[in-house]
Amino acid sequence: MKTQLKIALFLIFTNSLMLLLFGGSIYYFLYNYSYTDFYKRLETRATIAAKYNFDADKINAESFKMIRREHLEKLLAEREYLYKVENSNDLTEIAQKSELPMAFLRDIMANGKATRQVDETFFTGIRHESHSNIYIVIVSAKNYYASNHLLFMRNVILMGIVLIALITTYLSFFFSKRIFDPIKHITDRVKQISTDNIHLRIEEKDNDAEISQLISTFNDLLNRLETAFETQKNFVSNASHEFGTPLTSIMGEAEVMLMKQRSPEEYQQSLMSILGQAERLNQITQTLLYLAQTGYTNKRVNFEILRTDDLIWQVKEMIDKLNPKNNIQVDFSLLPENPKKLKVMGNRQLLSLAFTNILTNACKYSNNKPVVVTIASSDNQVFLVFQDQGIGIPESELPFIFDPFFRASNTRNFEGYGIGLPLTRNIIKIHNGLLHVSSVVNEGTVVQIKLPLAILP
Amino acid sequence: MEKTIVVPIDFKVESLNALRLALNTIQEGKVNVVLMYAETPSDSITEFLFYSPEAVIDSLKTREFEEAISILKNRYESLLGSVKIELFHGYTSNALANFLEAQKVSKIYFSKNYTLKPHKKGFDPIPLLKKAKIPYQEVGVDTDGFWSEWVSLNALFSF
Repeated sequence: MKTQLKIALFLIFTNSLMLLLFGGSIYYFLYNYSYTDFYKRLETRATIAAKYNFDADKINAESFKMIRREHLEKLLAEREYLYKVENSNDLTEIAQKSELPMAFLRDIMANGKATRQVDETFFTGIRHESHSNIYIVIVSAKNYYASNHLLFMRNVILMGIVLIALITTYLSFFFSKRIFDPIKHITDRVKQISTDNIHLRIEEKDNDAEISQLISTFNDLLNRLETAFETQKNFVSNASHEFGTPLTSIMGEAEVMLMKQRSPEEYQQSLMSILGQAERLNQITQTLLYLAQTGYTNKRVNFEILRTDDLIWQVKEMIDKLNPKNNIQVDFSLLPENPKKLKVMGNRQLLSLAFTNILTNACKYSNNKPVVVTIASSDNQVFLVFQDQGIGIPESELPFIFDPFFRASNTRNFEGYGIGLPLTRNIIKIHNGLLHVSSVVNEGTVVQIKLPLAILP
Repeated sequence: MEKTIVVPIDFKVESLNALRLALNTIQEGKVNVVLMYAETPSDSITEFLFYSPEAVIDSLKTREFEEAISILKNRYESLLGSVKIELFHGYTSNALANFLEAQKVSKIYFSKNYTLKPHKKGFDPIPLLKKAKIPYQEVGVDTDGFWSEWVSLNALFSF
């Protein structure tokens, strides 16, 4: 069943139920009340009748009758029964005479008063004792109010319930349709969007807060998807370019060599150059493989407890061997006193790779100016800050630095493929950390890494 | 020997640099730190009815600020006793003297390079602190720009 119909039916059902309860309870309580009230009125009449028939003398009796005529309204089919009861046999006689049931009369005798309804006529009887005689006084009448007014009211209530139920039905369908119309509209619109026309967006509405929120969320998602598609396209073109360059030079080198007979020295030189290009190709493939492994596999890498300061030292030693001219300074002024606060869960190879990438970049793009590594830790994470005084990254290009093969416009004079930073980002992501790069052109770049602290037993 | 120092703050990470430099000058002992934030009290009586210093501090505190405090706590674990943030409402030297006496402060530290940038209702208490009877010390580095820049805590929190 559609949600729209479900909501409408639920609204109709609950509303009708409430209406029925409301109308029904009004009718029921009024019905009860009208009966008790009517019996009471009959009882008053019976008491007065007993008074003037048996207790009062002639003059008083006349005035009683007058008061009754003047103040008590004549009821429909009102009738009085007055009987003297001397022994229990009289009851049967009275029953026969008045055509009233025996049980009713016995009730009167036993309880002092009783009420009964026969068809539309109501009876109230009382036992009256006067001058040591016992009398039974019964007044009967038809309840005009109950038979007419109540019936009328029942019809009005029923009519009202039906009418309101109809209106509710209409309103329920109307509102559920109104609520779901924009959602249906969004669904229709999103269905139209495919990979070919991913630039399409849903028009935003200003009058509907929740719906416009949904629409803008959708549009944001589409924006991100579009960027991802773009990156994918760029990746392929960049990758083919990166692979193409060494391949072209290998091919060129080989073709030149094959043109004519050469001396062994020339062949050797040429093969060396081909080997160099092939090594470069191999390196790109290796890094790409790493990138793919860190980016896409759900397979958990092996994690162990590592000390971040240790790692930084190891990386620094390695870079010292490769590039003795580097100027990396490790700043311990914020290092925590407790070594436990430096331990993170991580994979040694991957983290070393990430730090090496950042530090070699820092040295490379600053021509070995000082690079400062600061280590600090709060109660739940380790902070690593790498600051260099290099060429920086233009602000407009900062959003793309994590795209594979992207290289900033001011890096022409430096060798590189543009895979290091995406790889580093992937590695930090695997470790549930955060990587942030901020930079000012010609002043330097700051790379900040936050890694969660290892939970030690 | 245990002692208490006060450092004025503006709930920005930069202002904690003064605390760091102050702790560098203190070699040993146990230091309790009172981070003081000066603020003009509200003049609305209904606001005073529901006034709570904790709520004011909570609303001003940022995640970076708390992280920076915890970094300093980790760095000076053996030196630092307690670190607490206190609000100071008042304009006169007497009010400040009372505040410092209540906190049992023995020395005041503030940065000479950094000017506090308090929030809307806050004010810079340094002129007042300079007039206090308790000795004060200005801390800061005089070396060239680059080094003083990278030693600042702030670099850790610019994102």
